[in-house]
Amino acid sequence: MTERHTGTIAKRLTAMNLLVTAIALLLACASFFAYDQLTFRQSLVRTLSAQAQIIASNCLSSILFNDPQSAAQTLSALKSSQNISSAGIFTLDRKPFAQYSKEPGNDILNVPQLPSNRVEAYWFRSSHLVLVREIMSQGKPAGYVYIRAELHEIDERLQRYALIAIAVLIITLFIATLIATRFSKSVALPIVQLAQTANEVSRKRDYSVRVPPSGKRDEVSVLIDSFNEMLREIQRRDNALRQAHDELEQRVSDRTRELVSANRELEAFSYSVSHDLRGPLDSLNGFVYVLLKQYGAKLDDQAKELVEQIRSSGKRMTRLIGDLLNLSRVTTTVLHAEKVDLSALARSVMEELCRMEPDRQVEFIVPEKQEAYGDAHLLRIVLENLLRNSWKYTSKHTHARIEFGQERKRGRMAYFVRDDGSGFDERSADRLFQPFQRLHSSEQFPGSGIGLATVRRIIQRHGGDIWAEGAVERGATFYFTLGFSHGTE
Amino acid sequence: MLRFSTIRRGILRKSSSALLLRAGLAFIAFIAVPLRGQDVRPTEYQVKAAYVYNFGKFVTWPSNATPETQSFDICILGKDPFGPVIDATVAGDSIDGKRIIVRRIAKVQEVDPCSVLFISQSEERRLAPVLADAKHLNLLTVSDIKDFAERGGMIGLVTQGDRIRFVVNRKAADEAHLQLSSELLKVATRVIGAKAAE
Repeated sequence: MTERHTGTIAKRLTAMNLLVTAIALLLACASFFAYDQLTFRQSLVRTLSAQAQIIASNCLSSILFNDPQSAAQTLSALKSSQNISSAGIFTLDRKPFAQYSKEPGNDILNVPQLPSNRVEAYWFRSSHLVLVREIMSQGKPAGYVYIRAELHEIDERLQRYALIAIAVLIITLFIATLIATRFSKSVALPIVQLAQTANEVSRKRDYSVRVPPSGKRDEVSVLIDSFNEMLREIQRRDNALRQAHDELEQRVSDRTRELVSANRELEAFSYSVSHDLRGPLDSLNGFVYVLLKQYGAKLDDQAKELVEQIRSSGKRMTRLIGDLLNLSRVTTTVLHAEKVDLSALARSVMEELCRMEPDRQVEFIVPEKQEAYGDAHLLRIVLENLLRNSWKYTSKHTHARIEFGQERKRGRMAYFVRDDGSGFDERSADRLFQPFQRLHSSEQFPGSGIGLATVRRIIQRHGGDIWAEGAVERGATFYFTLGFSHGTE
Repeated sequence: MLRFSTIRRGILRKSSSALLLRAGLAFIAFIAVPLRGQDVRPTEYQVKAAYVYNFGKFVTWPSNATPETQSFDICILGKDPFGPVIDATVAGDSIDGKRIIVRRIAKVQEVDPCSVLFISQSEERRLAPVLADAKHLNLLTVSDIKDFAERGGMIGLVTQGDRIRFVVNRKAADEAHLQLSSELLKVATRVIGAKAAE
């Protein structure tokens, strides 16, 4: 590409020089030839005029004494003139008196009329020149001399000039080419180097290169200096930018590392707390169970009621701790992504729920097969939570309808779990997924407030998104997407 | 359509009449040209008159010959064969700025200040004394008397076929101190008496 450019600048300069040289030369040749033509014609006319005068004075007696032979003899002296092809003497009444012609048969039949008051006149025709002169005798006309000169010589001169012009043109152009090539190279080379460097800089983004200085003080060297200065400036800023960027990167990674370790500590802490809390709780539950079994008969009804309360609180606490452990496990376990049939998962969850509460009338709608790509265990937790929620929040209705499927939402394919239960206030939708945040009291619907937080964490780990739509007593729909759900969309 | 055809006929008629006119003119010209040629052809003495007048242009007289005269006189000695023809020929013409006058004289003694002396055929019998008289008067003697140049005259007019030509006696001209131009000698039929010096 740059090679092609180099060519064009140098070539263009050379071509321009050659063109100017050729035009100047041709103009000079043309004007010289035109001038030569003019002078040649003038000298031809002068020569003919002189010859006509000599013939006129030598033929006067021949005319006056009616001696055409001597006139013809006089005319035959014109043989020595190369140009003159024919000549003639005419009497005053324009009758041919004597003739001469270089090649026989070229007789002149009549004489052009002279303009009034003119002794001599000439006419240039395409191929010849005609000159007519009056023969004077004592101030009175006695006859006419007619001379015709061929203009071959002009053509020959033209040819000669053309040949000379061509030869000179070739030699001059050759020399001009040599000079112009060297000259244009010296002009073009710095520009070409500049162009090459600019091209290299923009291609490789390497601002460390410099254009070599041309060594001459001209506009191009100014351009080169400015360009180099510009490169230096860009390089300086580029370095500063890169340094700032690196520093920032370093700081971000430091912070991230700190955050990750803090988070991990926090999670480890919460895990160990949950885990450690389970021990005393289990023994508490165990002792309550033993108390009821062994001493249940001895306790009065009020005491039995209190112990029953302790047992149910202990159960709730066990579930709560289990959920907490689930949540922290979700964040720490390694993902095993595989192809999962979400429909099958949903069906098995629903079957389990039905088994637990066989009296409820719930219509469940699920597609034949709904494949996704993700961790089967975690996705089961997601569906379990969502479907269990739907099951729970439709429990106040005699007839319920729960649907799982996939539809286009917010410009992409999203899975959804929809119910026609008690729904929620849309204004508090963003609180849904916060841990321990509940929109309903435990009296209305029992729950730990950790399920949706766990779901969101799983979806986030899958690189997906989760959100909910709903209205009070109008049901709720939970949408979620999976970041790396190959082949499902 | 009708108008158009009328116009067209008018054009045709006009062009045919123009053609006829042109043909007529060409015919007249065809007849007229040879007639004019015959008319123009000069008579013997018209030619001789022109010759006599033209000889003066090719002769140089000695400077003392006729210095004071304002005219160039041509004298005709004897019976005038030209009549008014020669007067018409020279009318209004001049030689070396001098107006040409033709005079008729009876005797050589009346010749002064003539430059050219034409001797009529009527003087053939008196030719020798006339030439002897003329010899000292710087006169250019011209005549159509037979063998005029051979008999001591300067320019003798002779008829060759239908052309008038002349014989020059150069010796006679030399004796009268007249210089004859080479142009004149060039067109002469014959030149008698080569110049001694050459």
